[in-house]
Amino acid sequence: MTERKTIIGTSVKRSDLLAKVSGDAKYVADMHQPGLLYARSKRSNIAHARIVRIDTSRALALPGVKAVLTHENVPRVLHAGSPHPRSASVTCDQYILDDKVRYWGETVAVVAATSEEIAEAALDLIEVEYEALPAVFTIEDAAHPDAPLIHDREPGGNLVLPPVVVSRGDIERGFAEADFVIEGEYEGGRPTPAYMEPNACMCQWDGNGNLTVWISTQTAFMVRGIMAEVLGLPLHKVRVLVDHMGGGFGAKQDLFQSEFLCALLARQTRRPVRMEYTREETFLGGRTRHPFKLWLKQGFRNDGTLVARHARVVYNSGAYGSHGPGVTIVGTNAMTSLYRCENIQLEGRCLYTNSPIAGAFRGYGVVQTYYALDIQMDEAAQKLGMDPAELKLKNAVREGDIAPSNHPLIGHGLPDCIRRGMEEVGWAALRRRPRDTKGPQRRGWGMGCEMHGSSAYPGIKEQGNAIVKMNEDGTVVLLTGTAGLGTGAHTALAQIVAEELGVRFESVSVMHGDTDVVPWDIGAFASHTTYLGGKAAQLAAIEIKRQLFDRAAGLLDTTADQLDCADGTLQVRGTDRSMSIRDAVAPRKGIPAAQFVGSATYHPTKSYSFAAHFVEVVVDIETGQITVLQVVPVHEIGKVIHPIAAAGQIEGGIQQGIGHTLYEDYQIDMKTGRSLNANFVDYKMPLSMDMPSIRTVILETAPDPGGPFGAKGVGEDPIVAIGPAIANAVFDAIGVRFRHYPIKPEQVLQALREKQAVHPAHPTHEEGVLA
Amino acid sequence: MPAMKQQIISFTVNGEPRDIAVAPNRSLLDALRDEAGLTGTKKGCDVGECGSCTIIMNGQPVNACLVLAMEAEGSEITTVEGLQSPDGTPHPLQECFMRCGAAQCGFCTPGILVAAKALLDDNPAPTVDEIRFAIAGNICRCTGYTKIIDAISMAAPAGEHAMRDARGEVTQ
Repeated sequence: MTERKTIIGTSVKRSDLLAKVSGDAKYVADMHQPGLLYARSKRSNIAHARIVRIDTSRALALPGVKAVLTHENVPRVLHAGSPHPRSASVTCDQYILDDKVRYWGETVAVVAATSEEIAEAALDLIEVEYEALPAVFTIEDAAHPDAPLIHDREPGGNLVLPPVVVSRGDIERGFAEADFVIEGEYEGGRPTPAYMEPNACMCQWDGNGNLTVWISTQTAFMVRGIMAEVLGLPLHKVRVLVDHMGGGFGAKQDLFQSEFLCALLARQTRRPVRMEYTREETFLGGRTRHPFKLWLKQGFRNDGTLVARHARVVYNSGAYGSHGPGVTIVGTNAMTSLYRCENIQLEGRCLYTNSPIAGAFRGYGVVQTYYALDIQMDEAAQKLGMDPAELKLKNAVREGDIAPSNHPLIGHGLPDCIRRGMEEVGWAALRRRPRDTKGPQRRGWGMGCEMHGSSAYPGIKEQGNAIVKMNEDGTVVLLTGTAGLGTGAHTALAQIVAEELGVRFESVSVMHGDTDVVPWDIGAFASHTTYLGGKAAQLAAIEIKRQLFDRAAGLLDTTADQLDCADGTLQVRGTDRSMSIRDAVAPRKGIPAAQFVGSATYHPTKSYSFAAHFVEVVVDIETGQITVLQVVPVHEIGKVIHPIAAAGQIEGGIQQGIGHTLYEDYQIDMKTGRSLNANFVDYKMPLSMDMPSIRTVILETAPDPGGPFGAKGVGEDPIVAIGPAIANAVFDAIGVRFRHYPIKPEQVLQALREKQAVHPAHPTHEEGVLA
Repeated sequence: MPAMKQQIISFTVNGEPRDIAVAPNRSLLDALRDEAGLTGTKKGCDVGECGSCTIIMNGQPVNACLVLAMEAEGSEITTVEGLQSPDGTPHPLQECFMRCGAAQCGFCTPGILVAAKALLDDNPAPTVDEIRFAIAGNICRCTGYTKIIDAISMAAPAGEHAMRDARGEVTQ
């Protein structure tokens, strides 16, 4: 038998990239149908109001306008707008269009016309009269007993869900055992995913009552389910197609009103209708990360052992619930872990405000809570006079510790990452180095940690499905429902099938993105596609491998348990008897080829991936500018399926994490709720000139038996640890402790001035100031 | 609002002379995507902020959304569809983008490839800083740029990481 060439762990050429580099890959806005109409949305210019009157007659009279929809002529069905129907955290608080406006920029009417220009012109002809309602934009105002209610639903008081309370051990005893206590308040702004492809969908009815929807979504089956429910159709009448999509980062799990409206416009006009959001609309009508405030108090012994943790976090959900419940539950529960502590009391709340809708975004509530948790560990290390990396290592979760999912952790992933990173950057020597005291440029090093689950269990009882078919020439087709956000997931799934079957990677193709064809899928989110979709694909491949081996055993005069398969060749173990898969499957003597089809359903629980990020920054104390000079991310993700794709996830996550820590904040006017920076000039993201060098290290020290070949997730992880690593590095550079993001130059200067006033003789490296 | 009357413009796109009927208020981006059927060039913002619509016009990289279609009369245009050889062989930039994993969602990729081609046409051995500068107007939200910069370095015909030195496995 020839030596087995392992496909797993090899950076094969991704199967979607030739289409992407050649310009042939079709995204929804690239698709056209004869008779296509163009739809545009009229958006509110008020944050909270009742619609008293809406007059569309002038718009309808404009030549080229084919239909106008408002709350008066669309079905009124309350729906959740996305979070999975089987999850415990559904918030039914949306209508297709409502007679009430809950944030500035909400859609109040749509137009379908023969050109985009005509549709746009028609929007100005729609007259809307509002009765203004008092609006609230902050969580403090929304929580006030006299605050206006944004929704009339349980539990009331503008709460999206009842407070999430988590306790372990005895918090009072824990603080009683502490030698010292550290307490702080932490806060985060409103980054948006800012995926490059603006939201788009196109709908067409076939004349027999069948609806086809082309859409850029991470969750095709959820779109199908909610559209069917709201439009009153059985599932087989709604077909959702997703091919390429230009990023999602979590946010494209939601429906954005446009799906229903496109379908209704197409039904009314009996023509295909396409709606593309402009970039401004992608900000206005899109989803953001939840702004948050967090109070955290922890007790330590003098040797650095954590003995008590008490925290309250409040998330700002914006105008609708969307993923608020899931984010609150996941983000709050995450604080039970990362750094071990036996006595824990946590409370998470989520409030409606008249602000842009917060939704799912890479890091899902954990970006916020771990920012606070990790920075406070740095603060504790400073108090103790300890190296922060050593303090984090001492308290890092390890094998057997109970994870937020209530499962014991597998392996020592977090300590492995911290130790490896310390070696990579020469941490001990960096800590000993003299700090810059002259000139405006002050360098600093910091590190931050994270862990993140692969799958949304236990919030969602997850399920992965796959079908694998073998063709009569021995090539293989995998049918999967999971979406390709751009991560290379379909390539990873094909690698898993090829490896399991013993065929070449190039012999496996992947069919996806057609809800009428592929098996049901929960959606591409929660860093779970390789973990659960990959495992389902592996199990389906095992099923057809059994069928193949049974047939080949007869042809090779042996038994199935004596066969191996690699590179498309079946071999009887310990002999020179072999045959190609192609020959084993092929038709013979007029009998058609063997038909091998395997399907599998996989119900995973959850695994955890880990990371420690080590960051060097330079702070200019004259301008307040913080520049990230280099990042050394160390990730433990179990067995790596495709090293380049995994590193690509890490590098891209770091880019977004640098963005939300230093620049990105989607802002609204705090009097009117009007959006202030819904464009790429005013909403700053790190681009090619801003990105530091990144030296990625990937460890495979804690593979999870629940994933294919021991693989775990990596998609969300890298955005979590980079934030606190930067904030801690800034402290190392200038001795100022920031407990919020984004950390802006003017805030750096302000904090330095305040520090100078308190400690005039020691401009840097003193007790951190609150900023 | 009466639609503006269409006019015929003539330009050469990817070596092919084309006559396109387009309303005078339309951008070159819309003309390429909607009238010429070249949808490889993407619309990410339509106001010149994201670089997804970068094309080469008379040797210069431009945002097609900021050029009126009428301004392209008589011009030579290259879009992402024009990078491959007529026999279908990928351009070295395309090959290196695939090998390095420089594309993820792929939406910014056509614009960055074209911006990189304009750079390499002008400078066959760019430094990393020159590469960063050449794509400074192109937003990529997936990759962190690391692998894009690697890929452009590798594709540079006279650069120190030129592809002839890197054939075979792409190494991290």
